[in-house]
Amino acid sequence: MSDALHFAEHRLQEISLIIMGLVYITRLVWLFRFKAGKERQMATGLPNTNKRKGILYSWVNIMTPWAMESTRKHYIIYAQFVIFHLAVTCSILLSFFIPYAPGLLEISFMVLLFQVIIGVAFLIGLYRMYRRLSKPVMRAISTPDDLFSLTLITIWMGFAFFAVPNDTSSGETVMLTYFWLTAFFLIYVPFSKISHYLYYPITRYYFGKTMGHRGSYPLRGTRV
Amino acid sequence: MKQRSYKAQKLIDNMQKKLNRQVVGSLVACVHCGMCTDSCHYVLTNPDDPTYAPAYKADRIRKIFKRHYDWTGRVFPWWVGAKSVFTDEELEELKDIAFGKCTNCRRCSINCPMGVDFAVLNRIMRGLLVSVGVMPEGVSVVSKDQWEIGNQMGVLPEDYIETLEWMSEEMQSDLHDPTAIIPIDKMDANVIYTINPREVKYDPRTISDAGKIFHLAGENWTMPSEGWDMTNFGLFSGDDALGGAVALRVYEKMKELRGKKLVISECGHGYRSTRCEGPNWAGVNQDFEMESSVITMLNYIKEGRIKVDKTKNKGSYTFHDSCNNARSCGLFEEPRELLQLVVEDFREMYPNRTENYCCTGGGGAMSMSEYTPRRLKSAKIKADQLKATGATVVVTSCHNCVDGLTDLIKHYELGMDVTQLVNLVANALVIPEKPVVVEVPPVEKVVKLPLTGRKILVVDDEPDILTYFSMVLEDNGATVLQAADGETAIELCIKEKPDLMTLDINMPGKDGGWVFENLRKNPDIAQTKVCIVTGRPELRRLIYDRPVPMPEGYLDKPVDEETLLINVRKIIEVG
Repeated sequence: MSDALHFAEHRLQEISLIIMGLVYITRLVWLFRFKAGKERQMATGLPNTNKRKGILYSWVNIMTPWAMESTRKHYIIYAQFVIFHLAVTCSILLSFFIPYAPGLLEISFMVLLFQVIIGVAFLIGLYRMYRRLSKPVMRAISTPDDLFSLTLITIWMGFAFFAVPNDTSSGETVMLTYFWLTAFFLIYVPFSKISHYLYYPITRYYFGKTMGHRGSYPLRGTRV
Repeated sequence: MKQRSYKAQKLIDNMQKKLNRQVVGSLVACVHCGMCTDSCHYVLTNPDDPTYAPAYKADRIRKIFKRHYDWTGRVFPWWVGAKSVFTDEELEELKDIAFGKCTNCRRCSINCPMGVDFAVLNRIMRGLLVSVGVMPEGVSVVSKDQWEIGNQMGVLPEDYIETLEWMSEEMQSDLHDPTAIIPIDKMDANVIYTINPREVKYDPRTISDAGKIFHLAGENWTMPSEGWDMTNFGLFSGDDALGGAVALRVYEKMKELRGKKLVISECGHGYRSTRCEGPNWAGVNQDFEMESSVITMLNYIKEGRIKVDKTKNKGSYTFHDSCNNARSCGLFEEPRELLQLVVEDFREMYPNRTENYCCTGGGGAMSMSEYTPRRLKSAKIKADQLKATGATVVVTSCHNCVDGLTDLIKHYELGMDVTQLVNLVANALVIPEKPVVVEVPPVEKVVKLPLTGRKILVVDDEPDILTYFSMVLEDNGATVLQAADGETAIELCIKEKPDLMTLDINMPGKDGGWVFENLRKNPDIAQTKVCIVTGRPELRRLIYDRPVPMPEGYLDKPVDEETLLINVRKIIEVG
């Protein structure tokens, strides 16, 4: 392994993670400086609903695609969402496996699994870019950051796909690019919409609390 | 540097006060995934117009927030889509979106995978615009009435009390029971009943129906003389100060009367405002019981306090969930349970409960006439939903929905009736028989009613107005004829030769101006006295600019009972 690749796998990632962590902390401090709104009224709705149930339901809502009409109707988009996010997780894990647990990538099933997930997600990324640019509604709501973030992740996953076997026998270009992209990704994330996962538990917590207190969560709607 | 208008600067400054953790969460968490898009009835009926998409609408406020309150937008505005507002024209564009393209129904909010509460963001946008005086005229007028007169329809105290007394008489007559009255300001009652001013103005029968139910249940109840309006335009205008003031009026009266429970009549936004949002706007913790009259009626039946016979309600019924009741207050099972106790043929509407589509008259849309064509176009979704049920009557627990549904049923020619649970429960009541006491009837003095022998033709395209005017005039002895359009009005006038015609100006097809000119130009009916009644004073020129003798009277809508009677008598008797 060259010094450049060693640096990219270790020190560069550590620096990027520290920067990401610091910016995240800043973002969270900023968000929590806003006072939380209070529900001063007594609970409404059926007796078996409450704030706690609402919060739990809200957090797992995304794992129950049958619950919301939007995910129920657009189940293909939902499936894309699941694969895409699994692939992001795999691509991040990869940046830890390669330097710290390379043995895992000697298991051929693991390599195959990662490559299938990341490969499919790469294609989904391309489709998502097409969708975002071709559908008038998607175009109207997209910012440059939305487009750049999607492009960045898609390209990053493309390199992750080839980095999975952790094989430098035919050169280090792929691995170096993957790790430099990972580093850029980690630094860019807190400034971009990709940081939505940081807000997800918070927005979902408050929305679930409100709707649980009001008896609207868990959702109840008879379907067509 | 680009110059910013005073209003735009004020709006930006005022935003600070609206930001709490939930709101900021919703502002930063949107990933623009587009999953909310087709949960909105506006989008479904305008699929090619991206400006109706919930994410697009929410982005209008998000852009301002990012530019001024989020450092990512301050540092890289273009990159993250941050954008400020500068001109009053831009504020007008925001008004068009916040008031004219969203009913705050919250359907998109519950369909957002991230938990972004779009409806709350839209309400904040409205509130910010209202704070700088940018709002539809209807919103301004209604808000003013609620601030100044204490209720959103400008019902005067004497009219309110008079209506309650009138409804007491109706109850006594219907129940053949002189003790059946509406108690006013009774201390220490178990139930303090609050209503929507629309009930006083246009639908007083809902008051007497509720009164009958309370009376037969043996309830110790009362209605307050003040603080009786449980509706709250603050919900629609986004003005939390108004919302808090209106809610406090109700709570304070409740405490003054030492009531045990506040019962809120069937009104979606009223229930949400008084029961769920009021304490938050007013900054007070809820310390007494409040419930919807739907729950009260259901409990009466379950407890055996009233008996109902469902065979009395003929026809097939479906139920429309009010957005405010179902999505914002979790009230969707109780109305169904109650409905199935009082009707035989209930047909579910799909989708329903928290997934139901808005009646399209919510969010104050009924008071913003400039957006009516848009509203009615978006109502296609609801019309299809209603039609699919095959029911003849749609039941709802919301006055706004009654108006919204009535309007769309007329527009899409669905031929359905709209009613509320209180009407159905009252109709299904089994009135216990009382022992018959044979009494010698006292010799009553026959009182001649003031309009006895008079024939009056009421011309208006609004069924509510036709019913209301007819009821008031008939109760005072007049023979009333009704016409819902201009051509029928002229035909009836020629045939029946009424003493007086009350004439609405703004009607579809042949309007009031056409009727008036034709009437004056026809020697057979030219002498008919005419009283113009309009909710749009700016249309008066349609009458007064015509080269014919002027009308004998003129009234601005809304018209209360006393004003109507005084004017009608004055015109007929004095001429």
